[in-house]
Amino acid sequence: MPSLETSFCGLRLPTPFVNGSGTLDALVSGTLGVSAFVTKTVTLNPREGNPPPRIAETPAGMVNSIGLANPGLDRFLEDDLPRLAELGVPIVASVGGWSPGEYATAVARIGAHPAVVAIELNVSCPNVESGCISIGTDPRETRALVERCRRETDVPVLAKLSPSVTEIEAIATAAAEGGADGLVLINTLRGIAIDRATLRPLLGGGGGGLSGPAVKPVALHAVFHAYAATGLPIVGMGGVAGGSDASEFLAAGATLVGIGTALFRDPAVVARAALELAEELERRGASGPEDLVAAAHPPTSTSSRA
Amino acid sequence: MLPQSRSLAVRAVEACGAYTLLRLRRDGADAGVPGQFFMLRAAPAPADAYLSRPISAAWADDDELAFLLDVRGPGTRALTAGGAVEVLGPLGHGFELAPGPALLVGGGIGAAILPWLVRLLPEARVLLGFRTDAHAVCAALVHPDATVVVEPELVTEPLARLLPGFEGTVYACGPDAMLGAVAALAAEHGVACQLAMEAAMACGFGACHGCAVKIDGRWKRLCVEGPVLEASRAVA
Repeated sequence: MPSLETSFCGLRLPTPFVNGSGTLDALVSGTLGVSAFVTKTVTLNPREGNPPPRIAETPAGMVNSIGLANPGLDRFLEDDLPRLAELGVPIVASVGGWSPGEYATAVARIGAHPAVVAIELNVSCPNVESGCISIGTDPRETRALVERCRRETDVPVLAKLSPSVTEIEAIATAAAEGGADGLVLINTLRGIAIDRATLRPLLGGGGGGLSGPAVKPVALHAVFHAYAATGLPIVGMGGVAGGSDASEFLAAGATLVGIGTALFRDPAVVARAALELAEELERRGASGPEDLVAAAHPPTSTSSRA
Repeated sequence: MLPQSRSLAVRAVEACGAYTLLRLRRDGADAGVPGQFFMLRAAPAPADAYLSRPISAAWADDDELAFLLDVRGPGTRALTAGGAVEVLGPLGHGFELAPGPALLVGGGIGAAILPWLVRLLPEARVLLGFRTDAHAVCAALVHPDATVVVEPELVTEPLARLLPGFEGTVYACGPDAMLGAVAALAAEHGVACQLAMEAAMACGFGACHGCAVKIDGRWKRLCVEGPVLEASRAVA
Protein backbone atom coordinates (compact mmCIF):
# COMPACT_ATOMS: atom_id res chain seq x y z
CA MET A 1 0.00 0.00 0.00
CA PRO A 2 1.41 3.45 -0.89
CA SER A 3 2.43 5.74 1.95
CA LEU A 4 0.07 8.64 2.63
CA GLU A 5 2.92 10.82 3.90
CA THR A 6 2.45 14.40 2.79
CA SER A 7 4.49 17.62 2.90
CA PHE A 8 2.67 20.85 3.63
CA CYS A 9 4.33 24.21 4.24
CA GLY A 10 7.49 22.51 5.41
CA LEU A 11 5.69 19.98 7.64
CA ARG A 12 5.90 16.23 7.11
CA LEU A 13 2.58 14.65 8.05
CA PRO A 14 1.73 10.92 8.06
CA THR A 15 -1.48 11.46 6.10
CA PRO A 16 -3.16 14.40 4.35
CA PHE A 17 -6.14 14.27 6.71
CA VAL A 18 -6.82 17.00 9.25
CA ASN A 19 -10.03 18.16 10.90
CA GLY A 20 -11.87 21.31 10.01
CA SER A 21 -11.61 23.98 12.70
CA GLY A 22 -14.47 23.70 15.17
CA THR A 23 -15.45 20.16 14.25
CA LEU A 24 -13.44 18.20 16.80
CA ASP A 25 -12.60 18.71 20.47
CA ALA A 26 -9.51 16.55 20.86
CA LEU A 27 -9.49 17.13 24.61
CA VAL A 28 -12.89 15.40 24.85
CA SER A 29 -12.73 12.70 22.20
CA GLY A 30 -9.04 12.32 21.30
CA THR A 31 -7.69 13.19 17.88
CA LEU A 32 -9.69 10.52 15.98
CA GLY A 33 -6.83 9.86 13.59
CA VAL A 34 -6.08 13.32 12.20
CA SER A 35 -2.44 13.94 11.26
CA ALA A 36 -2.55 17.49 12.67
CA PHE A 37 -5.18 18.90 14.98
CA VAL A 38 -6.81 22.19 14.00
CA THR A 39 -8.23 24.01 17.03
CA LYS A 40 -11.57 25.70 17.28
CA THR A 41 -11.11 29.39 16.51
CA VAL A 42 -9.63 31.32 19.44
CA THR A 43 -10.49 34.99 19.97
CA LEU A 44 -8.86 37.55 22.25
CA ASN A 45 -11.80 37.56 24.66
CA PRO A 46 -13.84 34.54 25.79
CA ARG A 47 -17.09 33.93 23.90
CA GLU A 48 -20.06 31.92 25.16
CA GLY A 49 -21.38 31.54 21.65
CA ASN A 50 -24.85 32.04 20.21
CA PRO A 51 -28.10 31.05 21.95
CA PRO A 52 -29.66 27.72 20.93
CA PRO A 53 -30.90 26.19 18.77
CA ARG A 54 -27.43 26.16 17.20
CA ILE A 55 -27.82 23.42 14.62
CA ALA A 56 -30.39 22.43 12.04
CA GLU A 57 -30.28 19.37 9.84
CA THR A 58 -30.70 20.10 6.14
CA PRO A 59 -30.61 17.89 3.04
CA ALA A 60 -27.19 16.20 2.96
CA GLY A 61 -25.83 18.47 5.63
CA MET A 62 -26.54 20.93 8.39
CA VAL A 63 -26.61 24.62 9.20
CA ASN A 64 -24.83 25.72 12.35
CA SER A 65 -24.74 28.94 14.31
CA ILE A 66 -22.26 28.32 17.11
CA GLY A 67 -20.84 31.84 17.18
CA LEU A 68 -17.14 31.19 17.86
CA ALA A 69 -17.68 29.84 21.38
CA ASN A 70 -14.18 29.65 22.89
CA PRO A 71 -12.37 30.23 26.18
CA GLY A 72 -10.48 33.31 24.98
CA LEU A 73 -6.76 33.73 24.35
CA ASP A 74 -5.51 33.70 27.95
CA ARG A 75 -7.32 30.56 28.99
CA PHE A 76 -6.53 28.85 25.69
CA LEU A 77 -2.83 29.45 26.29
CA GLU A 78 -2.93 28.51 29.97
CA ASP A 79 -5.34 25.55 29.99
CA ASP A 80 -6.00 24.14 26.52
CA LEU A 81 -2.78 24.45 24.57
CA PRO A 82 -0.55 22.67 27.14
CA ARG A 83 -3.00 19.75 27.16
CA LEU A 84 -3.31 19.73 23.37
CA ALA A 85 0.49 19.68 23.14
CA GLU A 86 0.48 16.35 24.99
CA LEU A 87 -1.74 14.65 22.40
CA GLY A 88 1.21 13.82 20.18
CA VAL A 89 0.03 15.50 16.99
CA PRO A 90 1.08 18.88 15.57
CA ILE A 91 -1.30 21.72 16.43
CA VAL A 92 -2.69 24.20 13.93
CA ALA A 93 -4.22 27.07 15.89
CA SER A 94 -7.19 28.84 14.36
CA VAL A 95 -7.41 32.51 15.26
CA GLY A 96 -10.28 34.98 14.83
CA GLY A 97 -10.92 38.58 15.75
CA TRP A 98 -12.63 41.90 15.19
CA SER A 99 -9.59 43.96 14.22
CA PRO A 100 -6.13 43.30 12.77
CA GLY A 101 -4.67 44.15 16.18
CA GLU A 102 -6.69 41.41 17.87
CA TYR A 103 -5.56 38.87 15.30
CA ALA A 104 -1.94 40.00 15.58
CA THR A 105 -1.90 39.68 19.37
CA ALA A 106 -3.29 36.16 19.22
CA VAL A 107 -0.94 35.12 16.39
CA ALA A 108 2.14 36.37 18.24
CA ARG A 109 1.29 34.70 21.53
CA ILE A 110 0.02 31.39 20.12
CA GLY A 111 2.70 31.14 17.44
CA ALA A 112 5.38 31.25 20.12
CA HIS A 113 4.23 27.91 21.58
CA PRO A 114 6.44 25.01 20.41
CA ALA A 115 3.51 22.64 19.74
CA VAL A 116 1.92 25.06 17.26
CA VAL A 117 3.14 24.29 13.75
CA ALA A 118 0.90 26.71 11.86
CA ILE A 119 -1.69 29.44 12.40
CA GLU A 120 -4.99 29.55 10.56
CA LEU A 121 -6.50 33.02 10.22
CA ASN A 122 -10.26 32.59 10.30
CA VAL A 123 -11.46 35.47 8.15
CA SER A 124 -14.62 33.66 7.17
CA CYS A 125 -16.85 32.82 10.15
CA PRO A 126 -20.47 33.50 9.07
CA ASN A 127 -21.84 33.46 12.62
CA VAL A 128 -20.63 36.71 14.12
CA GLU A 129 -21.98 40.12 13.22
CA SER A 130 -18.77 41.91 12.32
CA GLY A 131 -15.03 41.25 12.10
CA CYS A 132 -13.97 37.92 10.70
CA ILE A 133 -16.07 37.41 7.56
CA SER A 134 -16.22 41.13 6.80
CA ILE A 135 -12.43 41.03 6.54
CA GLY A 136 -12.44 37.86 4.45
CA THR A 137 -14.85 39.25 1.88
CA ASP A 138 -12.69 42.30 1.13
CA PRO A 139 -9.40 41.71 -0.75
CA ARG A 140 -7.67 44.82 0.65
CA GLU A 141 -8.56 43.99 4.24
CA THR A 142 -7.55 40.37 3.73
CA ARG A 143 -4.14 41.35 2.34
CA ALA A 144 -3.53 43.86 5.13
CA LEU A 145 -4.52 41.39 7.83
CA VAL A 146 -2.31 38.60 6.46
CA GLU A 147 0.61 41.04 6.10
CA ARG A 148 0.21 42.17 9.68
CA CYS A 149 -0.06 38.63 11.08
CA ARG A 150 2.73 37.26 8.89
CA ARG A 151 5.13 39.60 10.72
CA GLU A 152 4.08 38.30 14.15
CA THR A 153 5.25 34.69 13.92
CA ASP A 154 7.78 32.34 12.37
CA VAL A 155 5.31 29.49 11.79
CA PRO A 156 3.35 29.21 8.54
CA VAL A 157 0.27 31.44 8.33
CA LEU A 158 -2.78 30.07 6.53
CA ALA A 159 -5.84 32.07 5.50
CA LYS A 160 -9.19 30.32 5.88
CA LEU A 161 -11.50 31.69 3.25
CA SER A 162 -15.25 31.89 2.79
CA PRO A 163 -16.98 30.60 -0.34
CA SER A 164 -19.61 33.31 0.16
CA VAL A 165 -17.77 35.77 -2.11
CA THR A 166 -18.21 36.71 -5.74
CA GLU A 167 -14.62 36.02 -6.81
CA ILE A 168 -12.66 33.55 -4.71
CA GLU A 169 -9.62 34.25 -6.92
CA ALA A 170 -9.50 37.87 -5.76
CA ILE A 171 -9.52 36.96 -2.07
CA ALA A 172 -7.06 34.09 -2.53
CA THR A 173 -4.71 36.35 -4.48
CA ALA A 174 -4.97 39.04 -1.81
CA ALA A 175 -4.04 36.50 0.87
CA ALA A 176 -1.10 35.35 -1.22
CA GLU A 177 0.07 38.94 -1.75
CA GLY A 178 -0.17 39.47 2.01
CA GLY A 179 2.30 36.64 2.48
CA ALA A 180 0.04 33.70 3.34
CA ASP A 181 1.96 30.44 3.29
CA GLY A 182 -1.17 28.48 2.47
CA LEU A 183 -4.94 28.64 2.17
CA VAL A 184 -7.72 26.75 3.89
CA LEU A 185 -11.02 26.53 2.08
CA ILE A 186 -13.84 26.43 2.44
CA ASN A 187 -15.50 27.69 5.59
CA THR A 188 -19.25 27.09 5.71
CA LEU A 189 -21.58 28.74 3.21
CA ARG A 190 -23.96 31.30 4.56
CA GLY A 191 -27.31 29.61 5.06
CA ILE A 192 -30.55 29.92 6.92
CA ALA A 193 -33.01 27.32 8.16
CA ILE A 194 -36.71 28.10 8.59
CA ASP A 195 -38.77 26.34 11.24
CA ARG A 196 -41.59 24.63 9.32
CA ALA A 197 -44.01 24.99 12.21
CA THR A 198 -43.49 28.65 13.10
CA LEU A 199 -42.09 29.87 9.74
CA ARG A 200 -39.46 31.79 11.76
CA PRO A 201 -35.67 31.36 11.51
CA LEU A 202 -34.88 28.13 13.31
CA LEU A 203 -31.45 28.95 14.67
CA GLY A 204 -30.96 31.15 17.71
CA GLY A 205 -28.40 33.23 15.83
CA GLY A 206 -30.79 33.78 12.89
CA GLY A 207 -28.63 32.67 9.98
CA GLY A 208 -25.80 30.16 10.02
CA GLY A 209 -23.24 28.23 8.02
CA LEU A 210 -24.04 25.28 5.76
CA SER A 211 -21.75 22.24 5.75
CA GLY A 212 -21.81 18.57 4.80
CA PRO A 213 -21.92 16.72 1.46
CA ALA A 214 -24.30 19.38 0.09
CA VAL A 215 -21.43 21.89 -0.19
CA LYS A 216 -18.82 19.66 -1.85
CA PRO A 217 -19.12 20.99 -5.42
CA VAL A 218 -18.91 24.57 -4.13
CA ALA A 219 -15.84 23.67 -2.12
CA LEU A 220 -14.17 21.94 -5.07
CA HIS A 221 -14.82 25.01 -7.21
CA ALA A 222 -13.25 27.28 -4.61
CA VAL A 223 -10.19 25.04 -4.18
CA PHE A 224 -9.77 24.68 -7.94
CA HIS A 225 -9.81 28.43 -8.61
CA ALA A 226 -7.82 29.42 -5.53
CA TYR A 227 -5.13 26.98 -6.60
CA ALA A 228 -5.19 28.22 -10.18
CA ALA A 229 -4.92 31.81 -9.00
CA THR A 230 -2.16 31.37 -6.42
CA GLY A 231 -0.49 27.96 -6.60
CA LEU A 232 -0.33 28.07 -2.79
CA PRO A 233 -0.57 24.88 -0.73
CA ILE A 234 -4.22 24.36 0.17
CA VAL A 235 -6.12 22.56 2.91
CA GLY A 236 -9.28 21.62 1.02
CA MET A 237 -12.51 20.79 2.77
CA GLY A 238 -16.26 20.84 2.39
CA GLY A 239 -18.33 17.65 2.43
CA VAL A 240 -15.42 15.22 2.64
CA ALA A 241 -16.70 11.90 3.97
CA GLY A 242 -14.37 9.34 2.43
CA GLY A 243 -11.28 8.54 0.38
CA SER A 244 -12.82 9.32 -2.99
CA ASP A 245 -13.89 12.77 -1.80
CA ALA A 246 -10.28 13.32 -0.71
CA SER A 247 -9.00 12.36 -4.17
CA GLU A 248 -11.30 14.95 -5.72
CA PHE A 249 -9.98 17.68 -3.43
CA LEU A 250 -6.37 16.71 -4.16
CA ALA A 251 -7.14 16.80 -7.87
CA ALA A 252 -8.71 20.26 -7.50
CA GLY A 253 -5.47 21.52 -5.98
CA ALA A 254 -5.51 20.69 -2.27
CA THR A 255 -2.47 19.18 -0.53
CA LEU A 256 -4.20 18.45 2.77
CA VAL A 257 -7.83 17.45 3.17
CA GLY A 258 -10.07 18.54 6.04
CA ILE A 259 -12.92 16.49 7.43
CA GLY A 260 -15.57 18.26 9.45
CA THR A 261 -19.26 17.51 9.48
CA ALA A 262 -18.67 13.85 8.59
CA LEU A 263 -16.82 13.50 11.90
CA PHE A 264 -20.04 14.34 13.72
CA ARG A 265 -21.86 11.32 12.35
CA ASP A 266 -18.91 8.93 12.24
CA PRO A 267 -15.89 9.43 14.51
CA ALA A 268 -14.10 6.63 12.61
CA VAL A 269 -14.34 8.50 9.29
CA VAL A 270 -10.71 9.72 9.21
CA ALA A 271 -9.23 6.25 9.54
CA ARG A 272 -11.63 4.90 6.93
CA ALA A 273 -10.96 7.74 4.48
CA ALA A 274 -7.20 7.20 4.86
CA LEU A 275 -7.57 3.51 4.08
CA GLU A 276 -9.78 4.26 1.07
CA LEU A 277 -7.33 6.85 -0.24
CA ALA A 278 -4.40 4.45 0.12
CA GLU A 279 -6.37 1.80 -1.79
CA GLU A 280 -7.19 4.27 -4.53
CA LEU A 281 -3.57 5.40 -4.84
CA GLU A 282 -2.53 1.78 -5.19
CA ARG A 283 -5.16 1.17 -7.90
CA ARG A 284 -3.87 4.19 -9.78
CA GLY A 285 -0.24 3.18 -9.36
CA ALA A 286 0.46 6.46 -7.57
CA SER A 287 3.34 6.65 -5.11
CA GLY A 288 1.59 9.05 -2.73
CA PRO A 289 -1.17 11.63 -2.37
CA GLU A 290 1.04 14.30 -3.89
CA ASP A 291 0.78 12.51 -7.24
CA LEU A 292 -2.88 13.51 -7.38
CA VAL A 293 -2.45 17.17 -6.39
CA ALA A 294 -3.82 19.48 -9.10
CA ALA A 295 -4.54 16.55 -11.43
CA ALA A 296 -7.72 18.34 -12.54
CA HIS A 297 -5.75 21.34 -13.82
CA PRO A 298 -4.38 21.72 -17.33
CA PRO A 299 -0.72 20.67 -17.30
CA THR A 300 0.60 23.94 -18.71
CA SER A 301 -0.84 26.55 -16.41
CA THR A 302 -1.49 27.29 -12.78
CA SER A 303 -2.44 30.89 -13.38
CA SER A 304 -5.17 30.93 -16.01
CA ARG A 305 -8.82 30.38 -15.22
CA ALA A 306 -10.02 26.94 -16.17
CA MET B 1 -11.50 8.05 24.90
CA LEU B 2 -14.50 7.60 22.61
CA PRO B 3 -16.48 4.34 22.41
CA GLN B 4 -16.46 2.43 19.13
CA SER B 5 -19.49 2.82 16.89
CA ARG B 6 -21.33 -0.48 16.50
CA SER B 7 -23.88 -1.75 14.00
CA LEU B 8 -26.59 -3.52 16.01
CA ALA B 9 -29.25 -5.69 14.40
CA VAL B 10 -32.89 -4.69 14.84
CA ARG B 11 -34.64 -7.44 16.80
CA ALA B 12 -38.12 -5.90 16.80
CA VAL B 13 -40.00 -2.67 16.15
CA GLU B 14 -43.23 -2.44 18.13
CA ALA B 15 -45.92 0.24 18.30
CA CYS B 16 -46.46 1.53 21.82
CA GLY B 17 -49.42 3.90 21.58
CA ALA B 18 -48.17 7.09 19.96
CA TYR B 19 -44.54 5.99 20.41
CA THR B 20 -42.44 3.21 18.87
CA LEU B 21 -40.27 0.71 20.70
CA LEU B 22 -37.02 -0.14 18.92
CA ARG B 23 -35.40 -3.30 20.27
CA LEU B 24 -31.82 -3.94 19.17
CA ARG B 25 -29.72 -7.06 19.62
CA ARG B 26 -27.14 -5.86 22.14
CA ASP B 27 -24.39 -8.17 20.92
CA GLY B 28 -22.06 -7.41 23.82
CA ALA B 29 -22.24 -3.63 23.37
CA ASP B 30 -21.50 -1.50 26.43
CA ALA B 31 -24.86 -0.22 27.70
CA GLY B 32 -23.53 2.27 30.25
CA VAL B 33 -25.95 3.46 32.93
CA PRO B 34 -29.50 4.89 32.79
CA GLY B 35 -29.53 8.50 31.60
CA GLN B 36 -26.44 8.21 29.41
CA PHE B 37 -27.22 8.38 25.71
CA PHE B 38 -26.35 6.89 22.35
CA MET B 39 -26.09 8.45 18.90
CA LEU B 40 -28.36 6.37 16.64
CA ARG B 41 -28.31 6.39 12.85
CA ALA B 42 -30.02 4.14 10.35
CA ALA B 43 -27.70 2.17 8.12
CA PRO B 44 -27.89 3.11 5.33
CA ALA B 45 -28.98 6.61 6.35
CA PRO B 46 -31.60 8.38 4.21
CA ALA B 47 -30.34 11.43 2.27
CA ASP B 48 -32.63 13.76 4.19
CA ALA B 49 -31.34 12.65 7.59
CA TYR B 50 -27.60 13.13 7.59
CA LEU B 51 -26.97 13.26 11.33
CA SER B 52 -27.34 10.72 14.11
CA ARG B 53 -30.00 11.13 16.81
CA PRO B 54 -29.10 11.38 20.52
CA ILE B 55 -31.36 8.98 22.44
CA SER B 56 -31.11 7.36 25.87
CA ALA B 57 -31.92 3.68 26.27
CA ALA B 58 -35.25 2.57 27.74
CA TRP B 59 -33.50 -0.49 29.14
CA ALA B 60 -30.57 -2.80 28.63
CA ASP B 61 -30.78 -6.58 29.08
CA ASP B 62 -27.97 -9.05 28.61
CA ASP B 63 -28.96 -9.48 24.99
CA GLU B 64 -31.05 -6.39 24.21
CA LEU B 65 -30.75 -2.62 24.05
CA ALA B 66 -34.17 -0.95 23.75
CA PHE B 67 -35.15 2.60 22.81
CA LEU B 68 -38.59 4.20 22.98
CA LEU B 69 -38.84 6.62 20.05
CA ASP B 70 -41.10 9.53 19.24
CA VAL B 71 -41.04 9.11 15.46
CA ARG B 72 -41.27 12.68 14.17
CA GLY B 73 -39.27 12.86 10.94
CA PRO B 74 -37.10 11.04 8.43
CA GLY B 75 -34.25 10.33 10.87
CA THR B 76 -36.31 8.60 13.54
CA ARG B 77 -38.51 6.94 10.88
CA ALA B 78 -35.45 5.45 9.20
CA LEU B 79 -34.29 4.00 12.53
CA THR B 80 -37.41 1.85 12.62
CA ALA B 81 -37.35 0.87 8.94
CA GLY B 82 -34.06 -0.96 8.48
CA GLY B 83 -32.40 -4.14 9.63
CA ALA B 84 -29.60 -2.50 11.62
CA VAL B 85 -28.79 0.70 13.47
CA GLU B 86 -25.40 2.38 13.92
CA VAL B 87 -24.96 2.93 17.64
CA LEU B 88 -22.28 5.17 19.18
CA GLY B 89 -22.14 5.20 22.94
CA PRO B 90 -22.73 5.18 25.82
CA LEU B 91 -21.99 8.91 25.99
CA GLY B 92 -22.28 11.63 28.63
CA HIS B 93 -23.15 11.37 32.31
CA GLY B 94 -26.17 9.35 33.49
CA PHE B 95 -28.14 9.36 36.73
CA GLU B 96 -26.21 8.99 39.96
CA LEU B 97 -28.29 6.73 42.15
CA ALA B 98 -28.56 8.11 45.67
CA PRO B 99 -29.48 6.10 48.77
CA GLY B 100 -32.97 6.64 50.17
CA PRO B 101 -36.42 7.01 48.63
CA ALA B 102 -36.76 7.89 44.96
CA LEU B 103 -39.38 9.79 43.01
CA LEU B 104 -39.25 9.32 39.24
CA VAL B 105 -40.97 11.97 37.13
CA GLY B 106 -41.43 11.64 33.38
CA GLY B 107 -43.07 13.94 30.87
CA GLY B 108 -43.98 12.77 27.37
CA ILE B 109 -41.13 10.97 25.60
CA GLY B 110 -39.06 11.73 28.71
CA ALA B 111 -40.75 8.64 30.19
CA ALA B 112 -38.68 6.64 27.70
CA ILE B 113 -35.60 6.46 29.89
CA LEU B 114 -37.38 5.52 33.12
CA PRO B 115 -38.02 1.74 32.72
CA TRP B 116 -34.30 1.04 33.23
CA LEU B 117 -34.15 3.35 36.25
CA VAL B 118 -37.19 1.60 37.76
CA ARG B 119 -35.33 -1.71 37.55
CA LEU B 120 -32.50 -0.23 39.62
CA LEU B 121 -34.86 1.61 41.99
CA PRO B 122 -37.72 -0.89 42.38
CA GLU B 123 -39.19 0.93 45.40
CA ALA B 124 -39.44 4.24 43.56
CA ARG B 125 -42.72 6.14 43.18
CA VAL B 126 -43.30 6.95 39.51
CA LEU B 127 -45.23 9.95 38.18
CA LEU B 128 -45.84 10.32 34.46
CA GLY B 129 -47.53 13.05 32.45
CA PHE B 130 -48.63 12.90 28.80
CA ARG B 131 -50.39 15.00 26.19
CA THR B 132 -52.91 12.32 25.19
CA ASP B 133 -54.06 8.84 26.15
CA ALA B 134 -52.21 7.47 23.11
CA HIS B 135 -48.94 8.85 24.44
CA ALA B 136 -49.75 7.49 27.92
CA VAL B 137 -49.82 3.89 26.64
CA CYS B 138 -46.07 3.66 27.22
CA ALA B 139 -46.60 4.11 31.00
CA ALA B 140 -47.04 0.34 31.19
CA LEU B 141 -43.40 -0.08 30.13
CA VAL B 142 -42.24 2.11 33.02
CA HIS B 143 -44.13 0.81 36.05
CA PRO B 144 -47.45 -1.02 36.52
CA ASP B 145 -48.37 1.23 39.45
CA ALA B 146 -47.22 4.54 37.99
CA THR B 147 -49.37 7.58 38.65
CA VAL B 148 -50.35 8.74 35.16
CA VAL B 149 -51.86 12.12 34.34
CA VAL B 150 -52.96 13.43 30.95
CA GLU B 151 -53.23 17.09 29.95
CA PRO B 152 -54.72 19.41 31.04
CA GLU B 153 -53.49 17.91 34.32
CA LEU B 154 -49.73 18.31 34.68
CA VAL B 155 -47.32 15.88 36.27
CA THR B 156 -46.20 18.61 38.65
CA GLU B 157 -49.62 18.48 40.35
CA PRO B 158 -49.20 14.99 41.91
CA LEU B 159 -45.54 15.84 42.48
CA ALA B 160 -46.49 18.91 44.52
CA ARG B 161 -48.72 16.73 46.71
CA LEU B 162 -45.93 14.18 47.35
CA LEU B 163 -42.99 16.47 48.01
CA PRO B 164 -43.87 17.91 51.45
CA GLY B 165 -41.96 15.78 53.94
CA PHE B 166 -40.30 13.70 51.18
CA GLU B 167 -36.71 12.87 52.06
CA GLY B 168 -35.09 11.37 49.03
CA THR B 169 -34.17 12.16 45.44
CA VAL B 170 -36.23 13.25 42.46
CA TYR B 171 -35.11 11.92 39.06
CA ALA B 172 -36.84 13.69 36.18
CA CYS B 173 -36.87 13.61 32.39
CA GLY B 174 -39.12 15.57 30.09
CA PRO B 175 -39.53 18.85 28.21
CA ASP B 176 -37.62 21.89 29.49
CA ALA B 177 -40.70 23.63 30.89
CA MET B 178 -41.61 20.55 32.91
CA LEU B 179 -38.05 20.13 34.16
CA GLY B 180 -37.97 23.77 35.21
CA ALA B 181 -41.20 23.32 37.19
CA VAL B 182 -40.00 20.06 38.76
CA ALA B 183 -36.69 21.66 39.74
CA ALA B 184 -38.48 24.64 41.29
CA LEU B 185 -40.76 22.37 43.34
CA ALA B 186 -37.83 20.23 44.50
CA ALA B 187 -35.85 23.31 45.50
CA GLU B 188 -38.86 24.70 47.36
CA HIS B 189 -38.99 21.52 49.47
CA GLY B 190 -35.22 21.13 49.81
CA VAL B 191 -35.26 17.85 47.87
CA ALA B 192 -32.28 16.65 45.79
CA CYS B 193 -33.14 16.57 42.09
CA GLN B 194 -31.45 15.25 38.97
CA LEU B 195 -32.67 16.31 35.52
CA ALA B 196 -32.11 14.38 32.28
CA MET B 197 -32.14 17.12 29.64
CA GLU B 198 -32.46 17.13 25.90
CA ALA B 199 -30.89 19.22 23.13
CA ALA B 200 -30.32 18.89 19.42
CA MET B 201 -26.86 17.39 18.86
CA ALA B 202 -24.87 16.73 15.72
CA CYS B 203 -22.12 14.62 17.31
CA GLY B 204 -22.70 13.72 20.97
CA PHE B 205 -19.01 13.88 21.91
CA GLY B 206 -18.20 17.55 22.33
CA ALA B 207 -17.15 18.33 18.77
CA CYS B 208 -19.99 20.35 17.28
CA HIS B 209 -20.91 22.70 20.17
CA GLY B 210 -24.51 22.41 18.94
CA CYS B 211 -26.15 21.25 22.19
CA ALA B 212 -25.69 24.44 24.20
CA VAL B 213 -27.79 24.62 27.37
CA LYS B 214 -27.55 27.13 30.24
CA ILE B 215 -25.50 25.25 32.80
CA ASP B 216 -24.01 27.03 35.81
CA GLY B 217 -25.39 30.21 34.21
CA ARG B 218 -23.48 29.88 30.94
CA TRP B 219 -24.04 28.20 27.56
CA LYS B 220 -22.30 24.85 27.86
CA ARG B 221 -22.34 21.60 25.90
CA LEU B 222 -25.03 19.26 27.25
CA CYS B 223 -23.27 16.21 25.78
CA VAL B 224 -20.15 16.93 27.85
CA GLU B 225 -21.71 18.23 31.08
CA GLY B 226 -24.89 16.07 31.05
CA PRO B 227 -27.32 15.00 29.80
CA VAL B 228 -28.16 14.34 33.48
CA LEU B 229 -27.48 17.36 35.68
CA GLU B 230 -28.01 18.31 39.28
CA ALA B 231 -31.06 20.58 39.02
CA SER B 232 -29.22 23.45 40.69
CA ARG B 233 -26.68 23.52 37.82
CA ALA B 234 -29.33 23.66 35.12
CA VAL B 235 -31.47 26.40 36.65
CA ALA B 236 -28.62 28.51 38.09
